[in-house]
Amino acid sequence: MIIYNPHDRRIIKERACEAGRLLDQIPARYCFVTGSFLHKEEYRDIDIFVISRSGKEFRVDNKKARITIIDFNDLYSLFCHSIMKSCIAKDMLPMRPLKVTMSDYWRVINEAVPAVLNQKQKYHKSVRFLVLYTEYFNSGEVLDTFQLDAKILEFRDYKDVLRYIKENVPATIGKRTKKSYIKRFFYTQAGYYRDVKEYPAQGFLRALAHSITQGVANG
Amino acid sequence: MVEPREFRKRIQEIVSQDYKVEFLGKNFDQIVSILTDTKAGKIYSWVNEVVSKKIQPIFIGSEKQYKNWAVSELFTFRHQFSIGNTEYRTLLVKVKNSIYIEFHLGNHKYYDKIRKELDLKKSSY
Repeated sequence: MIIYNPHDRRIIKERACEAGRLLDQIPARYCFVTGSFLHKEEYRDIDIFVISRSGKEFRVDNKKARITIIDFNDLYSLFCHSIMKSCIAKDMLPMRPLKVTMSDYWRVINEAVPAVLNQKQKYHKSVRFLVLYTEYFNSGEVLDTFQLDAKILEFRDYKDVLRYIKENVPATIGKRTKKSYIKRFFYTQAGYYRDVKEYPAQGFLRALAHSITQGVANG
Repeated sequence: MVEPREFRKRIQEIVSQDYKVEFLGKNFDQIVSILTDTKAGKIYSWVNEVVSKKIQPIFIGSEKQYKNWAVSELFTFRHQFSIGNTEYRTLLVKVKNSIYIEFHLGNHKYYDKIRKELDLKKSSY
């Protein structure tokens, strides 16, 4: 059993043992347990990930366990880098370089904003990628699941999330992307929202796209 | 237990248009048949809210082609629910200012596949 714990965080001993026991039941070399189950007593759901090409379905003898299959091609993603950062694995996990683009980030924002407005009380799950990407593009750091949870818990309500987007996204994109690309990409994007006035989510995204291009124009 | 034919009929009635919505998904009927009446009821109310424009769509400014339309001509509405430990998604796809064309129901893997086809997702995030 390999423990990935770069921040030396407390892992509940019994939970680590249970993680190891469940991983032993999975007939695959690359599998791991990550998330709050390892750190929080009150959290009983177990997130197990198996890196496999086989297409097989895996089962373990714990009803609280949820198994997700990851393809080897997924290992380049920010999501995989995040979940694999702090975890308990059966064996050394295969690592791949991170491949993430600004266009991926914009898609994440485009999915997150409507989701937040549709689930004003239960937005926590919907903003995971948004925060993960924003923090990565902002500081270069890939948050692990524990850091991500902590960051999301800082939001008091959905308005706080929208404020976070307004305050961070334009500056983050401005900092990380070539001006010529921003102008071309975001002017075009803002244009797409022109005909979608009946929905507040796209109104918000249109204003955001404008704010990003304005940021570039004002240097 | 919900009868798949009745489920499709109810959704088609709520959408209320002459054009027949296409019902798509891996194991569509199987998933519908394990829905409780309460869960099916929530899906019907969600479709109702979509039709009343109370649900915000996902909209991507992309010229990629999806069947007969450019992605930027489409709105995708998403609803998520769980049965046991498995998460499922329904997606209702609408042509901007026009008809509803597709209703998808599937697990996360299926959802990911459709997201890529609709250009909502590029890489594996």
